[in-house]
Amino acid sequence: MGTDDVPLDDKAKRMRDLLSSFYSPDPSSTPNAPSKHGTLDAINTTSFDPDQYMNLLVQKSNLEALLKRHVEMAAEIKNLDTDLQMLVYENYNKFISATDSIKRMKSNIVGMEANMGQLLDKIMSVQSRSDGVNTSLFEKREHIEKLHRTRNLLRKVQFIYDLPARLGKCIKSEAYADAVKFYTGAMPIFKAYGDSSFQDCKRASEDAVAIIVKNLQGKLFSDSESIQARAEAAVLLKQLDFPASVREFAEAIRAYRIIFPDSGRQLITLAQDLVINHFETTEQYVKRRISSANLLGVLRTIWADVLLMDEVLHEAVLPDFSLEAAQGAVKKYVASTFTYLLQDISDVLLRVNVSPKEAAEEHPLQVALEASRKAVLQGSMDVLLDFCQFLDDDLGLLVKLRDFIIDWVQEGFQGFLSALDDRFLLLSGRKNSSSPDQGLTEGAHSEKVLAGLVLVLAQLSIFIEQTVIPRITEEIAASFSGGGARGIENGPAFVPGEICRIFRSAGEKLLHHYVNMRTQRVSALLRKRFSTPNWVKHKEPREVHMFVDLFLQELKAIGIEVKQILPQGLLRKHWRSDSNGSTTSSRSNPLRDDKMSRSNTQRARSQLLETHLAKLFKQKVEIFTKVEYTQESVVTTIVKLCLKSLQEFVRLQTFNRSGFQQIQLDIQFLRTPLKEIVEDEAVIDFLLDEVIVAASERCLDPTPLEPPILDRLIQAKLAKLKEQNPITP
Amino acid sequence: MQGGSSGIGYGLKYQARCISDVKADTDHTSFITGTLSLREENEVHLIRLSSGGTELICEGLFSHPNEIWDLSSCPFDQRIFSTVFSTGESYGAAIWQIPELYGQLNSPQLERIASLDAHVGKINCVLWWPSGRHDKLISIDDENLFLWSLDCSKKAAQVQSKESSGMLHYLSGGAWDPHDVNAVAATCESSVQFWDLRTMKKTSAIERAHIRNANYDMKKKHILVTAEDESGIHIWDLRKPKIPVKELPGHTHWTWAVTCNPEYDGLILSAGTDSTVNLWLAPISAGDEPNSEA
Repeated sequence: MGTDDVPLDDKAKRMRDLLSSFYSPDPSSTPNAPSKHGTLDAINTTSFDPDQYMNLLVQKSNLEALLKRHVEMAAEIKNLDTDLQMLVYENYNKFISATDSIKRMKSNIVGMEANMGQLLDKIMSVQSRSDGVNTSLFEKREHIEKLHRTRNLLRKVQFIYDLPARLGKCIKSEAYADAVKFYTGAMPIFKAYGDSSFQDCKRASEDAVAIIVKNLQGKLFSDSESIQARAEAAVLLKQLDFPASVREFAEAIRAYRIIFPDSGRQLITLAQDLVINHFETTEQYVKRRISSANLLGVLRTIWADVLLMDEVLHEAVLPDFSLEAAQGAVKKYVASTFTYLLQDISDVLLRVNVSPKEAAEEHPLQVALEASRKAVLQGSMDVLLDFCQFLDDDLGLLVKLRDFIIDWVQEGFQGFLSALDDRFLLLSGRKNSSSPDQGLTEGAHSEKVLAGLVLVLAQLSIFIEQTVIPRITEEIAASFSGGGARGIENGPAFVPGEICRIFRSAGEKLLHHYVNMRTQRVSALLRKRFSTPNWVKHKEPREVHMFVDLFLQELKAIGIEVKQILPQGLLRKHWRSDSNGSTTSSRSNPLRDDKMSRSNTQRARSQLLETHLAKLFKQKVEIFTKVEYTQESVVTTIVKLCLKSLQEFVRLQTFNRSGFQQIQLDIQFLRTPLKEIVEDEAVIDFLLDEVIVAASERCLDPTPLEPPILDRLIQAKLAKLKEQNPITP
Repeated sequence: MQGGSSGIGYGLKYQARCISDVKADTDHTSFITGTLSLREENEVHLIRLSSGGTELICEGLFSHPNEIWDLSSCPFDQRIFSTVFSTGESYGAAIWQIPELYGQLNSPQLERIASLDAHVGKINCVLWWPSGRHDKLISIDDENLFLWSLDCSKKAAQVQSKESSGMLHYLSGGAWDPHDVNAVAATCESSVQFWDLRTMKKTSAIERAHIRNANYDMKKKHILVTAEDESGIHIWDLRKPKIPVKELPGHTHWTWAVTCNPEYDGLILSAGTDSTVNLWLAPISAGDEPNSEA
């Protein structure tokens, strides 16, 4: 090993060693390379061997070098020693100071626990004392509050009792303002308790007030009083809410005018305020449900008053002023009448929702339809008659408003019918209202909408379109036509064509919605039927599966519902299948089977093949036709959609031979009952065949059941059904 | 623009349920479709629209071992696609690659890159992330959601995480959010569940029964379009999942599948069991109408 090689090797080795000692988890597993070769710098490693080191040193260096090395080493050793000592001293220092601080801490804390305990005790005692104080004072406090309340009450009662005396005093001193103030303050209590507890007081004060009023009136009408006084009197009378009859008011005004020729403005404002008040009261009144006769009566009185005042106060131009005010009142009346009509109709319809099972009627839907039809037609006619009264009356006020009334009635009907349409859609759950706060409840479909209600609404829409709107148009043309206040360019306010269109489309939408709702229910049933069993490992078919019972039951329920509401179709088509060219009918006919010469399986197989071929040449049958408003059409559409769903469910599964045979059996059983309830038998045949074809394509071994077995199982099912319903309809 | 256009037809020998557009092929309009035949030999066809736009030409025909229930093309490599297949009794899912220069080989065979074999039972679909290069896949079976990491060069797919959808929730399909690589929607019997892939937990759900297909809008975030069996098409804003933003009538029977156009806002294509395909214009702020049928 040459000396040149050794340093290089050593360096590399040293690097490798350092790295390996750093990375290796177990120091004893470091490779033994250093011990083999040995390096001068290996003095710091764990595998240092002094003999080897010495040997190497002696080998490599001369005497001088050795001595130098010796000196170096001594120095290093001394350094290391001092370092060591320093470290030790420092360590010890630190330990000692740590011990000291811990000792101090301990002494500090020792006393604390005792202090804490004392503190806790003291606080507990304070708390218990405070509780004691509270409880002992509690009753007293309650008592005090009760007494306080009683005192207030007594003060009030005292006030009431003193009222008559006080009023008398005021009358004597003619301090009418105070009197009125006291009286109005006591009014609420009289209203509440006047009949029971404070009868005497009430009577006495009412007498006193009557005297005051008389005096005030006297003041008002006597010419000898000052303006101030009379004005005060008038104001006080008003405060007392005294129904100063207009006649007296007119007298008063006349008097005023004589005295004060230039107080016109105030009087005008006063008179106008009076009129406004009257009409506001009227508007409140019309919010309630009144007939137009009542309103007429009210308007008549008001108008009489107005005319009276007009004689006295021409500059106020009261008639025109009251015309404007009257407009508001009449318009509101028209609007509220329509709102009530809408409410009535909704109520009738909502009655359907209320547990039809408990209803005593056999045909709840029919009853509901009749009731709602009547509500709509009769209601509209009544409303129109009502409004006619307005036009026939010759009250001056109404004559002037005639044009407006015509417009309002027409617009009202337009608005009402649109609102009715909206309400129908809302009731059927078809329309999601777009307002955000309603949206949350709508989205959860919290209200269960009965399918029957939807059907009723559909039929009702058609009734409205066909009957009600023409009637309304007639009536309007008879009574409410000619010269509305709207300009010619705006056109008439009531546009029957548009409304008819709206209701027709609503009717269609509702009918589709009904069909969808019903179909969804049946789909759920079919979905369960086809996704539950393991079709690939299906057992031999023993009997017709019970889902056909459920299916037919649902269809029967739909039939009952539909019969109550919709009319029958015009012609019932009877299609016998022997006119069909296809050989898909595997209808059970025992006579035919006996005459078959070929083997049964082969015949069944070839039937399937012929189905395929025949399909190519048969005319494409329209499955999805428009739904009409007849019983048969609705039922047929539902059945068609359900059968299509059935086919789609079948296409998603994979069957073994028995599974396929089960499907074949079920479908064959369904053929007859379904054909009885629909109007187009060919389509049903087609759809059922499609199901069989789809099943055969998804089957690992599509061998159909032999016809005799098929017939036997079907007969067995029919017999079982007859057993269960001894009175077969 | 006109209703009832006839379209261009291409015939397959057997029934097929799946077709997927090859997004990664930006030079041509190509589709991959696979057959669903229980007893015959199944095939995968690669078809391309001719440059004149008048006919569909078969560019490649490959045999596939079993009937194909779901097929999806990889969005970043046009020769890779995933299939879910069944022997009639058991299901499997795999990633395939069309061999290079398939046009020149005599009978080109698909190379199986990876098998997604952690499933037991019925597998529904495999999802790729639609917005670009991503080495993860999602596969959904009846009760579980699996997240796989796929390494095409090493030809291996490993399950990264798996989560069950809970009792009584049968998953049927799903869609991957193109705007968020960690969000996926899974359609289930009575709702659409939204999952966060990092925690594998459900974050929210839309309660709605019988949704067959769901598709995210590629342009707008938070917009999801769903196809329901009988109720038609609904457009949802995921920030307010209680009521849909808009409802479209859909089809006469079931609406089976729905997709949003990745380029034009508001164009939605839907297919239904009434044998029609409808194109809808439904921008989120204005009205809607069906355009054409085929």
